[in-house]
Amino acid sequence: MLGSKPVARKVYPIEERCINCHMCEVGCIVEHSQTKTLLGAYQVEKLSFNREWSLGIVEPNEALEQGRPHPLNRCLVETHDTLSISTNCRHCDEPECILACKNGALYQDEEGRCRLHEDRCVGCWMCIMGCSYGAINRNPTVKNVPGQENNGIQNHCDLCPEREIPMCVYVCPTKALVFEDRGRAVHEVE
Amino acid sequence: MAGQSTTYLYEKDARERLGFRSPIQWGDYFHGHPEYKVHRDDSKCIRCLCCVRQCPYDCTFYDPVRNVIYDIDANCVNCKRCEFMCPTQCIEIREHGSFRRNAHWDAKSTTGIYKQADSGAVILTGLGADEDVKIYWGRILLDASQVTNPSIDPLREPMETRTYLGRKPDRVQPNGSSNGYPQLKCEIPVIFAPMSFGAISYNFQKGLAIAAREMGTYFNTGEGGLNPDFAEFGPHAIVQVASGRFGVSPEYLVNSAACEIKIGQGAKPGIGGHLPGEKVTYQVSRTRMIPQGADAISPAPQHDIYSIEDLRLLIYALKEATEYRKPVSVKIAAVHNVSAIASGIARAGADIIVLDGYRGGTGATPRAIRDNVGIPIELALAQVDERLRAEGIRNQVSLIAAGSVRSAAEVIKAIALGADACYIGTAAMLAVGCTLCQQCHRGHCSWGITTNRGDLLPRLPADMAAERLINLLKGWKHEMQEMLGLMGLNSIEGLRGNRLKLRGVDLNEVELKTLGIQHAGL
Repeated sequence: MLGSKPVARKVYPIEERCINCHMCEVGCIVEHSQTKTLLGAYQVEKLSFNREWSLGIVEPNEALEQGRPHPLNRCLVETHDTLSISTNCRHCDEPECILACKNGALYQDEEGRCRLHEDRCVGCWMCIMGCSYGAINRNPTVKNVPGQENNGIQNHCDLCPEREIPMCVYVCPTKALVFEDRGRAVHEVE
Repeated sequence: MAGQSTTYLYEKDARERLGFRSPIQWGDYFHGHPEYKVHRDDSKCIRCLCCVRQCPYDCTFYDPVRNVIYDIDANCVNCKRCEFMCPTQCIEIREHGSFRRNAHWDAKSTTGIYKQADSGAVILTGLGADEDVKIYWGRILLDASQVTNPSIDPLREPMETRTYLGRKPDRVQPNGSSNGYPQLKCEIPVIFAPMSFGAISYNFQKGLAIAAREMGTYFNTGEGGLNPDFAEFGPHAIVQVASGRFGVSPEYLVNSAACEIKIGQGAKPGIGGHLPGEKVTYQVSRTRMIPQGADAISPAPQHDIYSIEDLRLLIYALKEATEYRKPVSVKIAAVHNVSAIASGIARAGADIIVLDGYRGGTGATPRAIRDNVGIPIELALAQVDERLRAEGIRNQVSLIAAGSVRSAAEVIKAIALGADACYIGTAAMLAVGCTLCQQCHRGHCSWGITTNRGDLLPRLPADMAAERLINLLKGWKHEMQEMLGLMGLNSIEGLRGNRLKLRGVDLNEVELKTLGIQHAGL
């Protein structure tokens, strides 16, 4: 049942420490690449984040039409005036994305994290519609449904299962991201 | 994509989002000969644009149409922020020596003339003098114990780095009391120099305060007042009363470790301060008690001090205000005749005299004054100590040496020359990442040290600053203990004014006489 899982450590941003360097995005891309090296990820695998999108200049679809790499970074630095903050999946206690997923590709694991069965995702993007935080984006490099060119699979923060602490937290130069257990988020339900 | 106009649109938008001042225009490309050149190894660049976002000096830009990062080298100040932050370390900034070699017309004088011909203004700069004036610290060497007197191992035996600043009684008291004179207890004879909030960032001052409390020493508020948020650090704050009287109130004076009257500053002896209005943010205006956005100008002289008698009035006014519980210090720049001035200050009732030497730093000063006015601290310190001892009033004041103390060894040498403690300002800034680019006066320090701009402030979190400062002081403390031990001493107090532990090399007779030390070999 949703919301009954134990609470895991999650990534939390500290707004007043963020210096807008986007190293969390770089770290995320490198960690989720095949080679797991900076130059390998960017120059051999040609991964890249969509910087126009993150600056709000170009929409993701527009970038795809222009044949540019699509964002694969699972965290995203949002800026407003002089403020910046790194955002990613909150791994909600009662995730809307799981409720929205029509074929059980998204699930909550034993530690309370939102996870994805990659082979079950068909790219219907109902999770994107459901997410209140805009934390989900698309990974066009994997295609489960043949013939749908612009589709791919769902892509959100997986808290780096192979690492003790997620890469974005590890690379942040000012410790603006913390990986800790802050207890269950309390939802006020009227 | 729609050609160049999109480029500009992108840049303008991005720059506005990042809080930059003006959109780039073609004319901006042609404003001067570059002093530095940014070399970017394109084979390693991953276009993460970290350098573009980190540069606050309008030097580095991204062109999404060509997918290249380009630099306007004339704007580069060699702050090295991009070099430091680049994840693939593909950036290197090199000096750009484009002119024909000329020993007389060096880069500094030629670019100075270009800048003044452009603007018709006084050339401002930050930090201390960078001229090639003799540094005496390097020409003074320390003694060590050999066969006839054993050295002490500080790891096995107690080694005292504690010192007390303030007026001492004329005779030793039987119970060791200070006869009621207030004393400033320093666990390490190193105090953070006056750097005002406004000139330095909120986070850096907080870091200084945390480090001072942790290490049992003090930080100095500078002339900018004590931010209400830092009230808890009051017992470790030396509060300054300068000619502008910014932020001075009875609460400010009482919530302190000591009060300091600033007469002069090593980087700009004889002139006042000027904090540009754009640096006066809400927080700064609240602390300084001036309107937001107004220039904070401190006059050149203290308008109520025109003689030693006037100074005495202010010293005793502060003592009255603090009920004689805090020592009062007077800070002067090291200038000609400094020993006579110091003698007058001691007689005016000061408990501590701070001497700020030629190389002392600042947040903003005319370059001509910084590089040409004042005398080196080593000579001034030796002369002041000698004069006060000759007049028999050395016990009435403690001496703090400021300006250009770079290492624990220099603290030791300063103490042997007669200082009670040292101020460190530039060294503290270096500890938290300063690269000495001398742009403090511009107010967008790329390392978040001398700025309060919202997007630059987070670059130096207070706890990280404090951690690095504590590390620095711990390292210096160990080094000082080692150096005391090898001289066969077991306390800082045993070294003070002990010039027999010093020898000069490569110094002429006048210099040796001024410093009061013998030449090496003698």
